[in-house]
Amino acid sequence: MLQFDRVTLPEETESLRRDVRQFLADNAEHLERPNSDFSTGHDPAFSRKLGSQGWIGMTWPKQYGGSERSFFDRYVVTEELLAAGAPVSAHWIADRQSGNLILGVGTDEQKARYLPPIARGESYFSIGMSEPNSGSDLASVRTRAERVEGGWLINGTKLWSTDAHRNHFMIALVRTEPPSENRHAGFSQIIVDLHKDGVNIRPIRNMAGGEDFNEVVFEDVLVPEDRVVGEPGNGWKQVTSELAYERSGPERFLSGFRVFVELVRAAGPDPEPALAAAIGRIAAHIATLRRMSISVAGMLEGGKSPEVEAALVKGLGNDFEKLLPEIARLAADDSIAAAARFGRFRESLRDTLLLSPSFTIRGGTREILRGVIARGLGLR
Amino acid sequence: MTDTMLTDAAERMFADLCDKAMLDAAEDGAFPSALWNTVAESGFHQLAMPDSGVSLGDAFAVVGIAGRHALPLPLAETLLANRWLAGSDGLATIGQVQDGWIVDAPWGRAADRILGLDAERGACVVVELGEGVQVREGANLAGEPRDAVALPDGAEWLPLLEPAYAYLALARAVASAGCLARVLELTLQYAGEREQFGRAISRFQAIQHSLAVMAGEVAAAGRAADAAVDALDGDRLELEVAVAKARVGEAAGVVAEIAHQVHGAMGFTHEHQLHHFTRRAWAWRDEFGNETHWQRRLGRHLAAGGADGLWAFIATRG
Repeated sequence: MLQFDRVTLPEETESLRRDVRQFLADNAEHLERPNSDFSTGHDPAFSRKLGSQGWIGMTWPKQYGGSERSFFDRYVVTEELLAAGAPVSAHWIADRQSGNLILGVGTDEQKARYLPPIARGESYFSIGMSEPNSGSDLASVRTRAERVEGGWLINGTKLWSTDAHRNHFMIALVRTEPPSENRHAGFSQIIVDLHKDGVNIRPIRNMAGGEDFNEVVFEDVLVPEDRVVGEPGNGWKQVTSELAYERSGPERFLSGFRVFVELVRAAGPDPEPALAAAIGRIAAHIATLRRMSISVAGMLEGGKSPEVEAALVKGLGNDFEKLLPEIARLAADDSIAAAARFGRFRESLRDTLLLSPSFTIRGGTREILRGVIARGLGLR
Repeated sequence: MTDTMLTDAAERMFADLCDKAMLDAAEDGAFPSALWNTVAESGFHQLAMPDSGVSLGDAFAVVGIAGRHALPLPLAETLLANRWLAGSDGLATIGQVQDGWIVDAPWGRAADRILGLDAERGACVVVELGEGVQVREGANLAGEPRDAVALPDGAEWLPLLEPAYAYLALARAVASAGCLARVLELTLQYAGEREQFGRAISRFQAIQHSLAVMAGEVAAAGRAADAAVDALDGDRLELEVAVAKARVGEAAGVVAEIAHQVHGAMGFTHEHQLHHFTRRAWAWRDEFGNETHWQRRLGRHLAAGGADGLWAFIATRG
């Protein structure tokens, strides 16, 4: 049975939390249109400020620009930034997964080269997993890298690579060996310089009007030998272990948090019973999801790889992220929904609703997650 | 830290004693005296007394295990009544004072004494059951006895020193979380055994996804209930109980629904044991405040604190 232990954040996280809140108050100019969705708000100036606070790559060794802080410290910083609706998308992927991957399986040279600029908030990464014909079935990716003189020659197309048009690097999952009986064999992860390696990037407009994600085309793109991260052929294992980090964080249930804040603001101090109940319902969900997510952070801190628990928190959290705007919408009668002074509520609700289809798709669809959970339950 | 020797002992005892026949007999209304004697001999009914040597949190953990096995005794009520009434150590139960009666008292018909709560007054009355005390038998939708006892004239009111209603709501949340975990186990087991189209139904993706949803709800219920137990010593107990009772109640509906769907017609029979658990999950979410009651309580508190205090409420350490 899946276990979510009681985990209490260490006491020293409290002063860190106060520091982050003070920092946010001091940098209010970056929070003019707060949105708790981690994929919104690409603000390099803000990322650099976070970097100079030591709040990117927090858990990494000092040697590589990190602060050697715990996963709990990182958790506190992350959730404070998201709850405030801070613009974190520029450094997000580099901090959450690319850097951790490089730290885990990269060479000393790679660590020295890529990690310090990430930790300074200056170097941003995109994910290179999905392709036009490979979404949930990631093992079907067809982008291939051939070993040639001078490095690897890459051909293929990556899709939905968030911010590839303005980030610096992508870690692409590619086939370095032809498909075989074992469909998970023969993959490698390769760092691609999005500016210098000659890839062709085409932004794709999403239904919310944003141009965050992209199609990235590789036509005989040659990258040097030293760009492979980890063992060639070991890419599948590396990708799946990234997912425990990717799946259980506060970004999996806080995406609509600003809608909740604006709902409470609009409700005033003494809301009618149905509105009060809606507020309480949302709070009960968030408080519980957060504790489950912190349980997973505790497992990560303890050196475990809680893949199934992480999938469960993400699945539950994403479904709730879609429920939140619905609860808020129906709880707000005309005195809120139509009142000019509550424009912030409407704006926030609209932004979140338009982004909401992505919540149960990105980072593993609801269906894939349920499959992972079912496997954890011994059903597959 | 939970006292695992205590909880392991409770798990063994309740698992051993609470079989289908026991649950059926209790639902027919006869108090399970032998079961009670065994439980009382082990001192489980005294765990929450101030000098028990066991933390109140651990006493609640035992209530959770009782929920897991649908223990047909008023364990939570006995624990708390014996805690609140000096010198009380027998079978005690708790109901709520309403129009001259103490109503909804689990196993009121069999108790030595009954504590009647008036949560709004912050007070209670005690009735010793004996000759001439009028009892009206009743039951909740799980068939658990919920009796009414006439309040004698001139009953003496005692002050309540602890938030009794919140404690009882917490007891239901904790018991429900245990009960829902059991429902998941039963359903996983059934899905692995039941074959259709030549294979176990657990092999079908549609069933697997339903079970995954269930597992999520069960995990959420367990974590919410644990957090409220951990809040027993703090200054926000009622609010954490609100979180737990609201969240566990939502989980109960989803879990019971999926459990029955996966069990098919078999789970709809009286012969199968599933209903002893699903009906309790349904009943308990309405006892001591349903989801709406506690959502409102929490929502009013948060609204009064204002939008900018919202995150501070959620971002606790524990």
